[in-house]
Amino acid sequence: MRSDAILNDAARGSSDPRQRRPIPAWVATTALLLPTYGWLTLAVLLPLLTMFVFSFMSATPMGKTPIVFTLKHYRAFIDQPYLINIAWTSLVIGFWTTLLCAVFGFLAAVALARATVGRMRETLLVLLLLPFWTNGLVRVFSWTMVLRENGFLDGVVDMVLPDIGSISFLYTRYAVVLGLVHGYLPYMILTCYIALSTIDDAIIEAAASLGARWWTILLRILLPLAAPGLISGAVLTFVPVIGSFMEPRILGGKVGVTMGTVIEDQFTQAFNWPLGAALSFTLLAVVLAIFATFSGVLRRGTTA
Amino acid sequence: MTEITRRNALKLMSATLIAGAGVSMLPGMAFAAGTITVLNWQGYGTDEAWSIKAFQEATGIEVVHDYYSSEAEMLTKLRTNPGTYDLVVLNAARCAQAMAEDLISPIDYAKVPNISSVAENLRSNENFNKDGVGYAVPWVWGLTAIAMREGLPKADSYAVFGDPAYKGRVGLQDDAVGAIAAAALLTGQDMNNPKDLDLVKETLKGFKSNVKLLWSTEDQWNKSFAAKEFDVAMYWSGGAVRSRRVSKLPVDFVVPKEGGIGWVDGLGIPVGAPNAEGAHAFANWMIDPKFYVEWATKAGAPASANTAAMESLPADDLSRQIHKPEYISSMSIMSALPDDRREAFNNLWQEVKAFYAE
Amino acid sequence: MTQLGRIYLLAILIFLYTPILVMMAMGFNESQLYELPFSFSTRWYVALMDNQQLLKAGMNSIIIAVITAVISTCLGTMASIALSRRTFRGKSLLQLLLLPPIAIPWLITGTAMLVFFYWSGIGRGMHALLIGHVALAIPYVVLVVGTGFSTIRADLEEAAMSLGSTPIHAFFAVTLPLLFPSILGAALFAFAVSLDQFVISYFLATPGYSTLPVQIYSAIRKGFTPEINAISTLLLLGSMAAILIFARFAKPGDVRDKR
Repeated sequence: MRSDAILNDAARGSSDPRQRRPIPAWVATTALLLPTYGWLTLAVLLPLLTMFVFSFMSATPMGKTPIVFTLKHYRAFIDQPYLINIAWTSLVIGFWTTLLCAVFGFLAAVALARATVGRMRETLLVLLLLPFWTNGLVRVFSWTMVLRENGFLDGVVDMVLPDIGSISFLYTRYAVVLGLVHGYLPYMILTCYIALSTIDDAIIEAAASLGARWWTILLRILLPLAAPGLISGAVLTFVPVIGSFMEPRILGGKVGVTMGTVIEDQFTQAFNWPLGAALSFTLLAVVLAIFATFSGVLRRGTTA
Repeated sequence: MTEITRRNALKLMSATLIAGAGVSMLPGMAFAAGTITVLNWQGYGTDEAWSIKAFQEATGIEVVHDYYSSEAEMLTKLRTNPGTYDLVVLNAARCAQAMAEDLISPIDYAKVPNISSVAENLRSNENFNKDGVGYAVPWVWGLTAIAMREGLPKADSYAVFGDPAYKGRVGLQDDAVGAIAAAALLTGQDMNNPKDLDLVKETLKGFKSNVKLLWSTEDQWNKSFAAKEFDVAMYWSGGAVRSRRVSKLPVDFVVPKEGGIGWVDGLGIPVGAPNAEGAHAFANWMIDPKFYVEWATKAGAPASANTAAMESLPADDLSRQIHKPEYISSMSIMSALPDDRREAFNNLWQEVKAFYAE
Repeated sequence: MTQLGRIYLLAILIFLYTPILVMMAMGFNESQLYELPFSFSTRWYVALMDNQQLLKAGMNSIIIAVITAVISTCLGTMASIALSRRTFRGKSLLQLLLLPPIAIPWLITGTAMLVFFYWSGIGRGMHALLIGHVALAIPYVVLVVGTGFSTIRADLEEAAMSLGSTPIHAFFAVTLPLLFPSILGAALFAFAVSLDQFVISYFLATPGYSTLPVQIYSAIRKGFTPEINAISTLLLLGSMAAILIFARFAKPGDVRDKR
């Protein structure tokens, strides 16, 4: 299909293609775009549409149960009030993960941009981003070995302070947040670093020569300038975190009940796909609301 | 320099592609004639390596496994993977549901000769039969009760799960039916049909400060117990024997005065099983006294449904001591739940779990 | 200040790498129940070599990742040409449509795919995994190649054409070589996205066909031995190697940074 497009280019001759727009150009553009958007339609848009329809069914349309259309799954939050608590837990976990990522990621980006140069910076950047490209599941699994009772952490603590006993906090929300921060911190470092790397050194030197202290520079100059990176990093952390299910399952144990695990249960255990779909769309509505709130900043962030 | 590396990368990529295409043909060959796929809990009899090896030597049939982490997941796997599994291990209480949804097909007992010495009351168990047709081979029975760390005073009641002495030291099974059964027995109710569900709910919620872990598999139970994450837990009778013998864990299994939570597991053949013939042969192998004695003495097992198998077990064997024959008539046994009660159980357990998580 | 910054970065690195190193070390521990004290053993690596299920899943992961990289790079590059070099109505809408695979939680995309593939008869398994993985990788490819385009001046192509070159020739002689590092970067990116993908694979895998992350997850939930540590170690080292190769091609702070 690509050669079609180029043949069309050829037909147009050597004049600037962007001034004339004959029909062949339109065809060529379509031919270039069709495979990608056809694929996305098949793999993402149609599925979302189907799931939306499913969310109004009374039961999973498989087997002998008669299907009627109903709104009852969207009433789940009223019929089963404990879901509100679970949703709240998910939001709280998402909030803390994002906040911790933002603080540590921003500071790491600042340190990277201000305290390192040349090869050292390149090496450090690669080292910081490397875990991001390793399997997230494996990293979460790794934490269980550190945090469990009589695990690595307890072993280290026992060596330093033998009397303190176990400080294991596996199967708590702290463990879930820790695992999630570990997962998304490199992302935040990257987005903040991109935003910071465009800052002109002269501004900081000027501020310093005017007597500004380092924390003034950090909070008054670097923070506002890094804001687009912080916000796109925050959104790109928060969204996957509130949909996460394997981190809470593996690190949270009995407290690892989140919207993600409840939805997963509907699909793999309870076989109530319509309820899972309705809960998914409720979650999606929350995600879209967040996007709408930050859309201006995001657009700048993704096209910059 | 960059030219060279680029070319090398292209070479590397195409080499990977070719290698990938070559290797992708291998699994197809490995999974040729004579394979059965068994769906079960992990580490629960059917996947004992020595037995699979012996079975393959005897019949030429290779046994592969897929596992579930809850009975609800087992049913969903059957529903969403028709034509995949040849044999499934299912609790009698879930069997009625599987039959009602046309997930399992009738057993041809002529192909399971060992059925002749299976206890008649198990074989005719109403949960395994529909309209006089049997849908599962009774395999083993056992009970869920209390397992405790060796040396602790032996508990005589499920009330131990709420005993302040075990704050943060208790592991419950993440299973609606099991958890509700324990609370129902504790409050003197019928575990299959508790009249006062609110009381059950409050009883379970009362365990909150003690509950450290909700376990779902034996492997998880063993790892957590080995790491001393809990001291008292709900556990399966056969699992307790295995943990003690295979994993060398200091576990004592206790049946409280309220009685154990009994269950019977059967072997069913899913509708559309690609190798039903092989599945029948393996089911027969599973209730064979020879397999059972080896399983029970080498690893540890619940009680076999096959009376002949139980009798060939040494009298002093731990598996035999734990599964006292009188239990089969005296204890409550999990039975099929009507849809509305099952949904009520599930919602109750979801709510309790959400409460634990707070 | 510089010292403090470097110490801080060191602390972050320790935080990022400690669990990974502990996990790798436990793959060499004798105890099946992960009990300490540590006693060195390679038995789990030996056992892994016999574990057909894990090895096959690992091979599946690599095959899927390679095919995903090839398809998504071709498709994404084509789309990127149109989005970067042509003007047409509805372009910003099309750019917006690239977002769902990245911006919607994978849990939702994955379950939606499960529902649709099931309902439509597409089914699950290798082809379903490929459809899903390519869809996830395409937006990244378009972004990476698009960034590459923005660094190439359109008038170079025009200059070549004004010197008598045909548009096809101009594209292949001028634009494509300049674009090549971005395309290769995009392909490696797509490979990494696919290799790392768990959530979507989890809902689309079948008992007979799954990928390594799916196998690892089901092992964690249903029962595992340190063989999981062994294969995870190999997987991590593999993807780290792929990324280091990537980093050599596109200097850090080049392609990925402009995303």
